[in-house]
Amino acid sequence: MLLGFLIAFGFVLSGAVGAVAYFMPAIVTAFQDTGHSITRITPAATARASASASASAAATQPPSVAPPPGAPFTVLLLGSDNDAKFGGTVLTQSMILARVNPTTRHVVMESIPRDLWVPLASGGSAKIDAAYLHGGASGAVATVEEDFHIHIDHYAWIGLLGLVNLIDQVGGIDVVATNPVMDDYYPADISGTNPYAYERVAVLPGPQHMNGIQALEYVRSRHGDLRSDFGRSQRQQQVLLALRAKAKLLGIADLPDIATAMANDFSTDMSISQIASLLPIASSVQLQNVQQVILAPPYTSNLQIDNQDALAPNWNLILPETHKYFPAV
Amino acid sequence: MRSRRVRRAVTVVALLALMAAFGFGVNRLIASRKTNIHSETSSYVPTATRPAIVLPGTLYLAQGGQLYRLSDGYFTSLHSSTTAGTWMQPAYVPGTQNILAVLRSAEYSNLYLLSSQGTVIRRLSNNAVVASKVTQVWLNHWMFWPHFGPTGTLYFAYDEPKNSSSYAVDFSIWSGSLTGTLANQRLTTANPFTGGDVEPVPMANGDVMFSRYSISNGNAFSFIALETKPLVQPAILSTGAQDCGQADPSPDGTMVAMICIGGTGLQSTRLEVAPLVGTKLGTPRTLVNNCLCSAPVWAPDGSGLVYYNATDSAGHFELWWLKGALTATPAAPLQVTSNLNFDATSPPSWSPLTSIPVMAR
Repeated sequence: MLLGFLIAFGFVLSGAVGAVAYFMPAIVTAFQDTGHSITRITPAATARASASASASAAATQPPSVAPPPGAPFTVLLLGSDNDAKFGGTVLTQSMILARVNPTTRHVVMESIPRDLWVPLASGGSAKIDAAYLHGGASGAVATVEEDFHIHIDHYAWIGLLGLVNLIDQVGGIDVVATNPVMDDYYPADISGTNPYAYERVAVLPGPQHMNGIQALEYVRSRHGDLRSDFGRSQRQQQVLLALRAKAKLLGIADLPDIATAMANDFSTDMSISQIASLLPIASSVQLQNVQQVILAPPYTSNLQIDNQDALAPNWNLILPETHKYFPAV
Repeated sequence: MRSRRVRRAVTVVALLALMAAFGFGVNRLIASRKTNIHSETSSYVPTATRPAIVLPGTLYLAQGGQLYRLSDGYFTSLHSSTTAGTWMQPAYVPGTQNILAVLRSAEYSNLYLLSSQGTVIRRLSNNAVVASKVTQVWLNHWMFWPHFGPTGTLYFAYDEPKNSSSYAVDFSIWSGSLTGTLANQRLTTANPFTGGDVEPVPMANGDVMFSRYSISNGNAFSFIALETKPLVQPAILSTGAQDCGQADPSPDGTMVAMICIGGTGLQSTRLEVAPLVGTKLGTPRTLVNNCLCSAPVWAPDGSGLVYYNATDSAGHFELWWLKGALTATPAAPLQVTSNLNFDATSPPSWSPLTSIPVMAR
């Protein structure tokens, strides 16, 4: 009897070891890249930080309570450079607010222009892409919360290489390129040895299969587009939806390869169980239930400030539009 | 007694080995459940496959940076070297067995004249910047979508004129000849910062149909346009709401096949046909809805059209045939190829000639 139990236990244990060995890359990545907490910066601290222009002076409050299961929640999606020319400090190239309603399977994506000139939670005013530079994910979350008067439940950050590797790992994505995306001044910071060099981009229009590098060029290029960052925001949302379509095909056995591809280029404050509960929602959302918002003029207007081209927010229009989908606080 | 101990030891070792094998088996069982969606590695080369039907004439297609010919039910590789870039957008030269194709490199693309076997006869353009200015990448040029007209005139899209003090890089439609100046005449003036004018297709009467891009209200649209005279405002045949491009007029000039994305949320396309009367397009008819259809091309005899569509989870673009597309009751689309992965930005080029010698199938 005991011998039989021991033998059975031995087989169960060896099977478990086999499974754990298989999922080890996913487990390691999960512990490294998930469950990062957001340090919430208080308005009082912001004022002090404003005076000192130092994020380190910011006092903090405990992380907010996670929304109950099934309740709508808001995620701030951050995409950024992570190359050498910024010496370890990076700007966000993409900021997308996503409101997910797990019950109705409805998603709203609102792209925040990177050049939007706003007060930063870490102090002073700058383009909103600098919020991450000065305060990391916490700084970006706090800045968006304060400027847009909303509450953000979670964030997810992905670096350029992480996006490239993720798309390659799922076998590329099918995208209907909206127009020829042309750029003679695209940063050659992924493939070349000189991070300040340029390369040319020409994404031909129409349906096509894109690998990771091609998709990155499509979502990152902006110089040849009349809409500049707004065109790029639309393409970023388009690629996110194409990626979602591909992710629907993935199973749990694909997790280790995905985790390996994104290791060091992804972080979130969501726990593993929260991410796991999101996956079925992501795969079941229908395209017609995804609403896309771009804050193009008249929500924003061109602005010259501190010798920079920026965008002035029209808060009288932005806030009501935002609060249609993201509850005001 | 000793032999019993040995037996027990052997049993324990065997059990441990079995357990290890079981653990390894579990590991491999889970691995076998991985989704096989690695498109770049899971497709075949065309020459290893046979199409479902035999199409008339000769089709030239591109996959993975290589050019292929489909004739008499067989694919033939043109064996063009890919060390200098990727081959794409083949275009047959009327009345000959030569073809034109684009060789795309990282920063520029050139047009080449190739023999029916894929041997380079001549490079037609020189769009690479000189070596001393190689870091000034904006001095390079792109040329795409070559297409011959009935009189032997060559049409293509070219990113000239370009001002290096501006970020604008837009295609315009140009014409030229194989024997004279390649970029001899600019035909269109593109909308700046839109990507420009692309996909020229000459018509029997000398007009040139193309796709014109425009941006308004924060969205990019494509219009089917018809240039009847160089550098004058073209006739616009479709609306921004339709967002149609990749037009191909039928050989008799009565119908236009096109790809439209208006109203799809930019995640799918429609294959449509619309009657062409003068410089007006009639009411379009949708032949295939909610697809990733692209690059429709009419058969030389107008009996139907081929197009690409992504048909499997990997996103492979396969060749499809739609018989009777000119008629009110076309046949159901038929998938011509499987397990291939055609370059959807390279429209097939369909020559009526079939007398090409078949070599090294």
